[in-house]
Amino acid sequence: MRRVSTHAARNAPTLGAFALAAAVFLFATLYKPAFASGGNLQQLLVFASFLGIASLGQFVVILAGGFDLSVPWLIGFGGVFLTKWTSGGMPDAVAILLLVACGAGIGLANGIGVTWLGISPIVMTLGTGGVLNGLLLYAGLNSSQNAGVPAVAESLAEGRLAGIPVLAIAWLVLAVAAGWVLVRTSYGRRLYAVGMNDRAAWKAGVRVARVRALTYVISGVCAVVGGIALTGYIGLSYVDMGSPYLFGSIAAVAVGGSSVLGGRGSYWGTVAGALTLTFISALLPVLDIGASWLQIFYGGVIILGVALSRYMTRLVEAKR
Amino acid sequence: MADTATPAPLQTRRPLAVGRLRGDLRTHGLLLGLLAAVVVANVVAQPSLLDVNQIGLVVQIALPAVLVGFAQTIAVLSGGLDLSVGAILAVSNVLAATWLSGAANGADWHLVLILLFGLAAGAVNGVLIAVFRFEAFVATLATWSVFNGVALTVLDTDGGLAPTWLTTLVTGQTAGIPTAYWILAVVLVVWMHLRRTRFGMQLYAVGSDEERARLSGIRVTRVKIAAFALAGLAAAIGGILLAGATSTGQPTAGNSYILPSFAAVVIGGTRLGGGAGGVGLTTAAVLLLVLLGNFVAALDLDNWVAVVATSGLLIAVVALRALIDPARRGDEA
Repeated sequence: MRRVSTHAARNAPTLGAFALAAAVFLFATLYKPAFASGGNLQQLLVFASFLGIASLGQFVVILAGGFDLSVPWLIGFGGVFLTKWTSGGMPDAVAILLLVACGAGIGLANGIGVTWLGISPIVMTLGTGGVLNGLLLYAGLNSSQNAGVPAVAESLAEGRLAGIPVLAIAWLVLAVAAGWVLVRTSYGRRLYAVGMNDRAAWKAGVRVARVRALTYVISGVCAVVGGIALTGYIGLSYVDMGSPYLFGSIAAVAVGGSSVLGGRGSYWGTVAGALTLTFISALLPVLDIGASWLQIFYGGVIILGVALSRYMTRLVEAKR
Repeated sequence: MADTATPAPLQTRRPLAVGRLRGDLRTHGLLLGLLAAVVVANVVAQPSLLDVNQIGLVVQIALPAVLVGFAQTIAVLSGGLDLSVGAILAVSNVLAATWLSGAANGADWHLVLILLFGLAAGAVNGVLIAVFRFEAFVATLATWSVFNGVALTVLDTDGGLAPTWLTTLVTGQTAGIPTAYWILAVVLVVWMHLRRTRFGMQLYAVGSDEERARLSGIRVTRVKIAAFALAGLAAAIGGILLAGATSTGQPTAGNSYILPSFAAVVIGGTRLGGGAGGVGLTTAAVLLLVLLGNFVAALDLDNWVAVVATSGLLIAVVALRALIDPARRGDEA
């Protein structure tokens, strides 16, 4: 078997993804210089952070060979129950800790279903997503949605540190940490091994089920935290608030050059994918095109991004 | 992408599903038993359902979902999946509500154009997947976005008007029986014929073991493109029927069909990963889900109950099937 990764082969798709993000950004800026203004950049970074944080969980799940379709409902769960609980008198810190614990628990349920019960990831996460959807519809019935957004969530989403959004700094810290864990720790290497070939990993002594189940826990926590931050930003919560992140999080991973079949990719690539997709969504006022053309463009960029990352990988492999 | 470096996963070789028409009676029994139970519960809750026309209304509501289920099943049988079926349905739905407005009778060449669009849109998916080797999930995720955009260029909000012949076709009666029954019957007959054709056999063979199918002389690329083109066609017909049922066009109607179509395929027992299952099973599952929603509404319960019940059913059926037939455990990818 080929080595799991050489430095260049692993980084090539990531570089391609960043090049694509830069190209979209340059294009928009040349078209309308205001795109690169400080205020707009801050907005873009905040939007990209929501997608990037939700995509971190999705990336880890996909890397280990799965999918998490419950992400949008986990985001809604984080938002709706945050406002519900804090407006009901629960201290902010307790509510947030409880939400993170719930996210981990729901993720664990996904992980158990996928690994120990052997249910296909798409089916299992679709199922838990549906149950969460029902729970949110039930919980949203009698609660005022815009009451009780805690100050912590607001400052997380709105705060600025030396002109840089706090949320973007948090995202950067997460990305550095994720990059370190994935490349430097044994859990990271086991993740790649499981995604690449789970039987071989199992024979080499990796506890495949545990490694894989943990990815869903990570995804659950990431999505709930994303939901809390998103609620802080929009100042209210609603059941469908996570919907754009269902396919958005998977698209960010794919555009970022990771294989959606698992085993290949880097979180930095996903970061670039999240930036690219966010820039594209922000092109609407720049190009003065309708929402319809934006969607067509969005689909084209997914194909382009994936094709580019494949091309970059081939280029590097051909040189060796 | 995977084909560049990922070594092929160790695959358990299983017998080709070609010609295995009956499948496993025990697992199908579970589905049919559930369907019967929901029908009985429904009739007890609302005796008016015994009226042929009342059930016709239920079938009429279910028809677009049945055709999207048809599309999804074929995509899954070929070893892929199709996230764009809902968007293709949306495009044909808005086209039916705008292009067909002026037509006085059913003989409108625009209708052919809409069907051709479905075929072509599906073929684009097939080419991306089979020729350019995009993972089905990514390819159809991209075209989902593109086709959604196309639907919005035709109509940016709900509107348009479906021609009268179309609404009477879908909502009316033929030979004293609601036409919806006839359409459903035609869909099933078409499928029963299709699976016995050369293409049908090859579809199962490709989904079951692509490499083996290739070695035995099947043109895998062609079969896959045809499968996705056919899926696009089925989704387009679903969109036209939806326009007939609601008599308007909704550019965002498609999204609500995507995830339920997976649920229906899985509850029906078609294996994700391809090679086993069928449209008949998916259709039974679609009717099961529609009747379940109908039952919850009849009991005057809130919408969330139906949502939870659907998901609970999905997980329960998959888990039960794993218990009944351990050989199937974990063989879905």
